[in-house]
Amino acid sequence: MTSNRDESLGFHPLSMALAWLWPGLGHIARGERQRGILIMSGVLFLFLGGLLIGGIDAVDRREDALWFVAQAGCGPIAFVADMGNTALLKNGPPESMVSTPVGAASTNKGGKVSKRKALAHVNEFGTLYIALAGLMNAVIVLDAGFRRSRTTGSSAA
Amino acid sequence: MTHGSHALLAWIPFLDPLYSAYDWWPLLIVPLCFGIAMIYKAYRLPTLDRYWRQVVLMTVQALFAFAGLAAALFLLVQVIVPMLPAE
Repeated sequence: MTSNRDESLGFHPLSMALAWLWPGLGHIARGERQRGILIMSGVLFLFLGGLLIGGIDAVDRREDALWFVAQAGCGPIAFVADMGNTALLKNGPPESMVSTPVGAASTNKGGKVSKRKALAHVNEFGTLYIALAGLMNAVIVLDAGFRRSRTTGSSAA
Repeated sequence: MTHGSHALLAWIPFLDPLYSAYDWWPLLIVPLCFGIAMIYKAYRLPTLDRYWRQVVLMTVQALFAFAGLAAALFLLVQVIVPMLPAE
């Protein structure tokens, strides 16, 4: 009984590693190509959406360390984005300054801000998009590692 | 040229923040719910026959839930709490 259950559950550490390295790859490696592609599309939709909204400032391992714990669930792409943040925003050449957007004026009224720096709700939403992509991908990693095989399950039933 | 259009011309996608979103940021909840539904339904559904239908359904349900919570909080803060005695 227990052995049958273990067989149907299975444990695939390689699939888990692949799922973290690139979203959806774990399911593709287990033969569920369509599911893997849909997972990849969803995670990348949120990740790229977050970068589109918040810019490169949405991933910041130094200033938003706790958020980055969640964002790291996306895999190496989150670390690449953080490297981009360090290279372009923190250590890059000074960017031109723009007037603080009206919607974010309460934080810096009438002031100037670097055009790469996201403020207020735009920064929050960009960070949140990528953090939720990372948390969802953490669930996907577990699912790829412990997913009950449907073919095994149906034959067992 | 207005400042807004000047900022838009200088905007580099994925590097610079989306300046225009400062004006309509509450709407960003819609693609957020859609993305979460895409991921959740992709691994949760036993078969993917009705995937997109399920994704849209979950997105709408989540948005209605947000709207309901917002309405309930509005009532609580703006109507019920002011009716309470001060002491």
